[in-house]
Amino acid sequence: MDFHRHILAFATLAGKNLLRRVVRTSLAVTGVALAVAVAVSLAGFVKGYHGAITRSIDMLGFQVMVMAKGCPYEAATMMLKGGTGLLYLPDSIYTNVATDTGVASITPVFIGVAEKEQTSIQDDGAGSFIVVSGIEVPSFTTMKPWLSFQTGTGFDGGRWFTTDTEVTKEAPENIKQEVVLGYEVAEYEQRKVGDTIALTITPSGAVSSETHEYTVAGILSRTGTQDDGTVFMPLSSAQRIFNRPSQITVVGVKLKEFSSQAIRQFEERWISLPEVQIVGLQQVKSTLLNLISTAQAMIGAVAVIAIVVAIIGVINTILMSIHERTGEIGIMKAIGASRSDIFELIWYETLALCLLGGLAGIIVAYGGSGIIEFMLRHLIELGVQGEIVVISPGIIGLSLGGTVLVGFFAGLYPAWRASSMRPLEAIRAGE
Amino acid sequence: MSYSLNHPSAEEPLIVGRNLTKHYRRGSETVRALDGVDLSVATGEMIAIVGPSGSGKTTLVNTVACLDAPTEGSLIINGIDTRGLSEDALVAIRRGFFGFVFQKFYLLPTLSVAENVELPLLFLRRNPSRRTTLALLETLEIASRADHLPRELSGGQMQRVAIARALIVKPKVLIADEPTGNLDSATSDSIFDLFEDLSHQGLSIMVTTHNLPLAYRASRVVTLQDGKIVKEESRKG
Repeated sequence: MDFHRHILAFATLAGKNLLRRVVRTSLAVTGVALAVAVAVSLAGFVKGYHGAITRSIDMLGFQVMVMAKGCPYEAATMMLKGGTGLLYLPDSIYTNVATDTGVASITPVFIGVAEKEQTSIQDDGAGSFIVVSGIEVPSFTTMKPWLSFQTGTGFDGGRWFTTDTEVTKEAPENIKQEVVLGYEVAEYEQRKVGDTIALTITPSGAVSSETHEYTVAGILSRTGTQDDGTVFMPLSSAQRIFNRPSQITVVGVKLKEFSSQAIRQFEERWISLPEVQIVGLQQVKSTLLNLISTAQAMIGAVAVIAIVVAIIGVINTILMSIHERTGEIGIMKAIGASRSDIFELIWYETLALCLLGGLAGIIVAYGGSGIIEFMLRHLIELGVQGEIVVISPGIIGLSLGGTVLVGFFAGLYPAWRASSMRPLEAIRAGE
Repeated sequence: MSYSLNHPSAEEPLIVGRNLTKHYRRGSETVRALDGVDLSVATGEMIAIVGPSGSGKTTLVNTVACLDAPTEGSLIINGIDTRGLSEDALVAIRRGFFGFVFQKFYLLPTLSVAENVELPLLFLRRNPSRRTTLALLETLEIASRADHLPRELSGGQMQRVAIARALIVKPKVLIADEPTGNLDSATSDSIFDLFEDLSHQGLSIMVTTHNLPLAYRASRVVTLQDGKIVKEESRKG
């Protein structure tokens, strides 16, 4: 009998043994499937969330942020997902830092928060505030060269808004001011190029809010970052409507040489500026990912416990099956089965339970990843854009490999126990 | 189609047991299940082991078939002294040399009749041939049930399947422990008819039974009592 035929014959026999108790086998497989589904989903979340944070920080386009003193991580988070409690700097800081010889490119950004216009669409997850960024288009797009305008029906003809200079040629009240919308803002607010959008803002020092109407000059393509949820307008317009003339929120800097030493030297040159902090985004990224890793370790422990419980279920199922088939095992040994034959048979049964459970778990996790992502986004303030549950081929392969490995070890004890039975004692015990 | 065992006759006995003794501990008591039994089995011989319950019939056939090790004595199977052999070595001797039939049939419920019959071949690493299996089932008059599951068979049919499973490896010795214990008299008769045919084809058979009329169809009848052979009768022809 050749090797493949031998394996096939034993696997078929193992499969038939498992099908003898369909309910019990199904329950054991379900236990493994649920544990694997939890583990795969968590691994997918870990991978996706890591990727989303890394992407979000990398796609800020800055390597270093110059901003008002405060918690650097809060500041970074604010840049990633927007927020209230913003601190502002005089825009002279921008002028000063721009003279630094180590700077490759630099851009000032003003960030404010506007209330969303009421729409007929009920979307609790989208929140009721919208981030408004005042920018200088040339320097901002130098930092983010990947920004492009969405095309297609309703999007064609997109462009950046008219410059500040053009706006101020006439009295502001006579000019239909323009904004550019991030992809998700346009989607949520159902706006196309040429539509108007109203932003309700409470200017600094004012008690009541004001509503401003803008024409949508363009809609950006999706970036998977906070830019998708941002309304962009000229820096001077943002400063004016928020009543913060000559103030900015952050200066984004890209250095000629990107190294921790270059960032440290840059920091040393500008640390003397009053009320200013220099935040290196690489460091922020590392710190955020480290914080997340701690949470992930706890989540991982839960997955491990689920898998251990499932494995105990599998071992118990196989041991019960062996107990019921003691006489049969004795007969098989009597008619020529060696210890290794019995070991192989029982081991295949365990492996089959784990493998079936693993495959089912992966299918459940893969099929349900969209639902998990939807639930996570609606239950937790994640602070990052883009896909956060990524079940990659690597995770699938690792899960399958892990399941096989677990099945290998889980099957050892029952297989050893069955193979150690003496034929006559087994036949008698089965009577 | 027909199935042939094709056993050549031989002068040397296939099995030689000398002073076979088996003691069990039952609490503080020592049970002498076999007590110095001498027995040899020649090719084509059909030996019936009879005796009251507890006389040592099953212990004798289990010991002779290497399923149980004797406490004392020697057992030579096909020229090999089995004393001190490991379980794996005993498996190697059992494989293909012995065929087993038990009172309770022990067919695997999830396998069809044909698959049950072919099961020992899996352990012998031999490729099953469905033609050979069907020919064997034909000989045993159950070929029409080849694709049925054991639960769809009568007791007599199940025992015939168990016999086919024992014969598929073309053993030299068939060990049958109370093979008719669960069968009616007509079916029991037909099973012993089959044993006689197989014996005439050169298969050695050791069968235990409580049924004396059936036992006296064997070429030799060995009567056990308290683990000892008390009578041994040979039938000529």
